[in-house]
Amino acid sequence: MIALGQVTPHNIKQLKKLNQVVFPVAYNDKFYKDVLEVGELAKLAYYNDIVVGAVCCRVDTSEGRRRLYIMTLGCLAPYRRLTIGTLMLEHVLSICERDGKLDALYLHVQVNNEAALAFYRKFGFEVIETKEQYYKKIEPADAYVLEKNLRPKEE
Amino acid sequence: MPSSNPLPPKEAALFKRILKCYEHKQYKNGLKFAKQILSNPKYAEHGETLAMKGLILNCLAKKDEAYDNVKRGLRNDLKSHVCWHVYGLLQRSDRKYDEAIKCYRNALKWDKENLQILRDLSLLQVQMRDLEGYKETRHQLLLLRPAQRVSWIGFAMALHLVNEFDMAITVLEEYRKTQQPRSFDYEHSEFLLYENQVMREAGLLEKALDHLHQNQDYILDVLVFQESKADILMRLGRWEEAKQVVESLIERNTENWEYLRLLQRCSAAESTESRLRLFDQLCQRFQRAQAPRRMALYLEYDTADLRQRFRDTLNAYLRAGLSRGPPLFASIKSLYSDAWKVAVIEELLVSYLDEVNAGRDPTCPSAPAESTESDDSLLPCTALWVNIILAQHWSAVGRSADAMRHVDAAIEHTPTMVELYVLKAKIYKRGGDPAKAAQWMEEAQSMDTADRFLNSKCTKYLLRCDRVEDACSMASKFTREGVGAMENLNEMQCLWFLSECARAFQRQRRFGDALKKCIEIDRHFSEMVEDQFDFHTYCTRKMTLRSYMHMLRFEDGIRGHRFFVDAAVMAMNIYLELHDHPVADQDGLHDDQQDNLSAAELKKLKSKQRKAARRAQQQEEQRRDTEQSRPEELDPATLERVERPLDEAARWLQPLQDRAASSVDTHLLAFELHWRRGKPLLMLQAAKRVHAIDPQHPRLHEHVVRLASRTFHVADAVATVLKQELHRLMGGHDVVDFDRRFLEDNRHSLPHLLEAMHVSVVHLKTTPPETAADALYAAKLMGQPLHAGIQMMDALHKGTFGVCTTQQMDTLRQQCRLAWPLATAFE
Repeated sequence: MIALGQVTPHNIKQLKKLNQVVFPVAYNDKFYKDVLEVGELAKLAYYNDIVVGAVCCRVDTSEGRRRLYIMTLGCLAPYRRLTIGTLMLEHVLSICERDGKLDALYLHVQVNNEAALAFYRKFGFEVIETKEQYYKKIEPADAYVLEKNLRPKEE
Repeated sequence: MPSSNPLPPKEAALFKRILKCYEHKQYKNGLKFAKQILSNPKYAEHGETLAMKGLILNCLAKKDEAYDNVKRGLRNDLKSHVCWHVYGLLQRSDRKYDEAIKCYRNALKWDKENLQILRDLSLLQVQMRDLEGYKETRHQLLLLRPAQRVSWIGFAMALHLVNEFDMAITVLEEYRKTQQPRSFDYEHSEFLLYENQVMREAGLLEKALDHLHQNQDYILDVLVFQESKADILMRLGRWEEAKQVVESLIERNTENWEYLRLLQRCSAAESTESRLRLFDQLCQRFQRAQAPRRMALYLEYDTADLRQRFRDTLNAYLRAGLSRGPPLFASIKSLYSDAWKVAVIEELLVSYLDEVNAGRDPTCPSAPAESTESDDSLLPCTALWVNIILAQHWSAVGRSADAMRHVDAAIEHTPTMVELYVLKAKIYKRGGDPAKAAQWMEEAQSMDTADRFLNSKCTKYLLRCDRVEDACSMASKFTREGVGAMENLNEMQCLWFLSECARAFQRQRRFGDALKKCIEIDRHFSEMVEDQFDFHTYCTRKMTLRSYMHMLRFEDGIRGHRFFVDAAVMAMNIYLELHDHPVADQDGLHDDQQDNLSAAELKKLKSKQRKAARRAQQQEEQRRDTEQSRPEELDPATLERVERPLDEAARWLQPLQDRAASSVDTHLLAFELHWRRGKPLLMLQAAKRVHAIDPQHPRLHEHVVRLASRTFHVADAVATVLKQELHRLMGGHDVVDFDRRFLEDNRHSLPHLLEAMHVSVVHLKTTPPETAADALYAAKLMGQPLHAGIQMMDALHKGTFGVCTTQQMDTLRQQCRLAWPLATAFE
């Protein structure tokens, strides 16, 4: 019933449509060009062979650390609470484990998105920062930075 | 073998070497040896050597030289079988099969027992379906080479083809007795099954049954064995035994509709109740079988009780199938020919939507009202499926606005599902807006560019809105690189593409281009007939005899295929149009411009046009003569300026009458052709044929009245026959009465109303145009076919029903827009 699939130049428009509907933010052509290069870091989620969700990540080397940044992770409204989000996040986590050299996994969440905050907290993410005026065209414009540390704590 | 000019030993040896070189394809050497013989002044005109030289030149593609040499050789040695044989080979390579057969027969006159010539002749005879000749040749071959198994098989098949069953079976039996089959001898198994087929076709049923049983161990194709057995038992009336066999077939494959039909016959299930009982049993036994469930829906349901049962069965079927999505509608589409069934479907579908809106899921087994299950018992996709099937339903009954509403709701729910955009495009297409349909199909295609089905569908939709260039670019995403899509698809014999292109050109009145495509389609069909040539030897050798017979019969009827019929109908329509409105000359002078010319100039212009037309006709005839050997490049401009378009139309009519006689279009077009040629009896024949198929066809009505209203200058006997038969066609009434009754019987159908009005205004002149126009204004447009609406507006525009005021036209156009909201024709 639920499965993950690759993003290819042939089906990328389905990803674009999905992002348009799910996220209040618009992504530009460069975003989609980059998505085609990241391999397993971008996946489509299928329910009954229809694309209903997607996740796009990239490796981020800012702040002197090597982290994985989740750019988008979302699912069409009628198909939520069916473990699709969990499947996608678990896929990302397994990539992090296989990589072995990532410090952390992080993303931005709009401050009023209670459902997202609860979801990520379940997987061990913590709010480490609040970025004010992060979003340009939507309200509220602030975003939390949620991060999950991947390195085991040194005693 | 005796030639009239035998060669001495040295030259004879050289000649033998020429033959060997030809066989081993060493053409240069062969020519060298031939030159050696011919350089000897005594044998410079030796017939057989010249013939062999010509044959080799033909293999080197030097056709003209080849023919020259062979003809010279033949002239010098008319009694040589070699010369005739070679000439026949040349004709065959140019596909002039009739000529080749004549040459081979001549060759045989001089060498009655030449195996090679006999074999070549037999192949041509079966290719050209000269079946009596084929039988004789095969007989000869058997007498000459009884040790070869191919001789026996070939002769038996030839007898089969001319329906001499008894003889064929004797030959096959004789052959069988000589065989010692190995275990798992597939060729022997095929042979036995072929033998059985011949027995069954001969009607020797008991013998066929015994034959099956005796050889059961050697027959490896169990499925065909069972099917043959069932067939024989049923024809012998041994229903119980047949039923057992059919049941075992159904166990193998529950989805074969033919088996289900056989089962109904074996069980003597005539009434709907008995059939339903049968299907219920099958559904019980095979829980996952679709065919019995579907077939149950297609029965006749006459009484109120039965209709309730239909409703229940359909309800269960739809609920179980909703989660399949779009394919569910495809499986019930054929029910839409029954109006009351459509009403039941509509009622059920709307009820599902109500359930979804109330939060219940139609696809889940019905739970009690106070269920302790979780409150969101609605599966996520269900709303989607219900909207999809409702959209498909409304589109099928012509309510395109409603359909659009539902597909838009579905897109809102799940915008990533590609099939939704395909569905939206289809709704626009059926609603009468081909441009938007193409746009939405392009959208669908862009979402999955690796899908060739979407690509082809998109190409078709682009052609439907006359964007031929765009269609080619779309198709070229999947065709060979470096070659244009149009060329590659023609090479690949992609008939649907050629057909749609032709139609697009026809709509744009680019008749030459359209005709070119139609002729290309015809050529592909000719190629398909050609292609069977190699199989005559191959199948006989490999013993795949049943498939071979099937192929021969298929090839016989191949021009009955939809693609050919469509092309022929299109071509005929174009030629009739060209006859009525010939294409203007290259200089493109219109009638008003011609007024400006002086009388002398006009005369010169007209004679120039006539010469050009005659040249076009000659070229056309020449093209057809050389068609067989050298398919020439088709020139649209030449094609559309042909001088005698009616002759061309008649040429396309012939295969239609042979193979598509059950199609109304064939005879309607025949009528139109004969009308223009003034042949009343042929027109009558065409009208009678349409009457036999569909007596209430609207165009038939117009044809009959047209025929009855025109006086022909014919012999008395002919006039009497005409009058009698027309009287019968009109049901014994006179013309005016006939028209009135036709209108009465069909007043709810817009196409019929239009024809009746047209007839009474234009031909009979019994109704003033204004009355007819009023009738049209008052007509109920909702639910009528779109093409009738367009036809109506056209007729009013042209003034067929008198002059209409702008206000009347606008009101009517408004009504049309209400009836067909998506159509672009009424803007």
